[in-house]
Amino acid sequence: MGPVIRVTNLVQKIGRKLLFQGISFEVQSGECLGIFGTRGAGKTSLVHILAGVDRFKSGQVEILGFNIKKTEKFKRTLGLVTQESSLFRDMSVVENLDFIAALKKASRVAVRELIERFQLQEFLTKPVTSLDIGVLQRVSLACALLNQPKLLLLDEIIKDIDLFSRNLILKELEQFLAEGGTCVSTFSNFAFAQSFTKVAWLEGGEITIYDSEAAQEEWNRQEKYYAEQSGRLL
Amino acid sequence: MIRQCLAIMQRELFYMWRDRSLRNILLVGPVLALLLFAGVYSYQRIENISTAIVDLDRSSASRQVITDLKNSQNLQVVAYFDTFSQLEESIKRGEVIVGVVIPENYGKNIALQRQTKVAVFIDGMNIAYATNASSALLTVTRTLGAQVGIQTLIAKGIQVNQAQEAYQSIAFPEEAWFNPTTNYAYFLVLAFALNVWQQCCTLASCMTIIGENGRRSWYQIRTSGISLLKLFFCKSLVHIGILLLTVLPVYFLAFVVFKLPLACGWSSFLLFNLIFILAVHGLGTMMSSLSPNAVNASRYGMIIALPSFLFSGFTWPLQAMPQWLQHVVWIFPQTWFFQGVSFLTFKNPGWGFMSHYFLALGLMAVLFYSVAALRLMVSDFPHKG
Repeated sequence: MGPVIRVTNLVQKIGRKLLFQGISFEVQSGECLGIFGTRGAGKTSLVHILAGVDRFKSGQVEILGFNIKKTEKFKRTLGLVTQESSLFRDMSVVENLDFIAALKKASRVAVRELIERFQLQEFLTKPVTSLDIGVLQRVSLACALLNQPKLLLLDEIIKDIDLFSRNLILKELEQFLAEGGTCVSTFSNFAFAQSFTKVAWLEGGEITIYDSEAAQEEWNRQEKYYAEQSGRLL
Repeated sequence: MIRQCLAIMQRELFYMWRDRSLRNILLVGPVLALLLFAGVYSYQRIENISTAIVDLDRSSASRQVITDLKNSQNLQVVAYFDTFSQLEESIKRGEVIVGVVIPENYGKNIALQRQTKVAVFIDGMNIAYATNASSALLTVTRTLGAQVGIQTLIAKGIQVNQAQEAYQSIAFPEEAWFNPTTNYAYFLVLAFALNVWQQCCTLASCMTIIGENGRRSWYQIRTSGISLLKLFFCKSLVHIGILLLTVLPVYFLAFVVFKLPLACGWSSFLLFNLIFILAVHGLGTMMSSLSPNAVNASRYGMIIALPSFLFSGFTWPLQAMPQWLQHVVWIFPQTWFFQGVSFLTFKNPGWGFMSHYFLALGLMAVLFYSVAALRLMVSDFPHKG
């Protein structure tokens, strides 16, 4: 079986800035790739390209064997959680779940099941604009899982959220991976690096793939180096 | 397929209902406009035009002129001045619209069959007022001229009946068709209310695409894999239905309550409205697809919606516009609509004539939707390579 994601010589330009200078990587089934980078490194742009919502300048991106420039069939088995909420702001929690289920041709049984799994019962009639960030991310992930995706794309899903929601989300992600799902998730806090099978380090328009331990070592090395450069003692 | 369409349509319906400002604009705006305009034009004609007289003669002949002016249907004599300067000042202050100055020796000159002049001044600041004043004065002066002429002929020894026949040998009976009483309410109330409605339609339609892809929830739609053609088709169905529904109370008030004329049948009139809605919604959708954000889409919509009524030739005839502009204005659906509404409500000229209007609006709808689709394909469909 081929990789779930195959990115070859991906070039992306935003305005005059060259964001990706021909990056290539693969993600195998069952893996969880963490994309790390500082602000503006292109983490969100990369996730949006993989989700097929942003166009790119050149290169080739294959998701589940589909060339995403030629077809949208790969979206049937894709789930996306964006960094800033992309739920429908004029709707309540249950209306979002129902509407997104209809868009994704998911069943109402799936909606009920996800409401229970993410413990959303008490929030169903609330407008999504009134939710705390933790609950909002639970709803967002529930929506992303409605179509039982094979690939989950997550953009900073557990950043700055309450511990209960974080643990609930991590539990569901672990279950998703255990069931053979594949995941790509951006993060900017290196404390989460151990959660990923591999870490893709985005810097200067290029990508370097590490296993999680090597990524941690590289992080420690860079932290020490820049502390010395700045004259700050660690 | 059907579940998706129903979900999109239901969501759009809820969205439009929950957006309080959009709901109020669409539901209340046109109806309120109709009620206000019906109030404004409730007198239907301009009557009681305030008139002042300067009688420098004070003879029985001059008193006859004053009596004729007082008996005029649309003039109301409100002041008498001793001098021309007093009259001039009063017109400047807007107290009177019409001033009549009867010169000294007016009666004597009439009796001696000499030519004499009664000076008439009209405040031309308000065209509607001035035109009506001029028309009312013309009726009085024509009658007065005939009376004096007949009296002159009688004084010359011609029989009374011969003198009268001489002045009535050519008759110019006036007959205003379609709006016999030249009722301003018939002419303007519905059109002004429909102008408000078409502006609401255009502005609401300008959100069709940008109202969706300008929000973050667009990511949910894009990743769901739903066909954008299906999405916007279902959304547009709701918009078109809502826009048609919002005009129905206007027509109920106009034709049933206020009894404004509707020469054609309801079905053909509503069908014409439906075709117009398709054209104007297509136009709004096209503007929406060309706009980088919702604010710009609204601006583009305003640029089209606001002046389109003036360009439509409804208030100022197309024939009175420069030749080049007469052609340009037909690119707006509003021109076809307001011209068509005039024909259908006043004249009902038949399908042979009106089919051009239906066809033109239909073609515009096809063109505008096609441009919008093309624009989306170029800019918003990144995956067709």
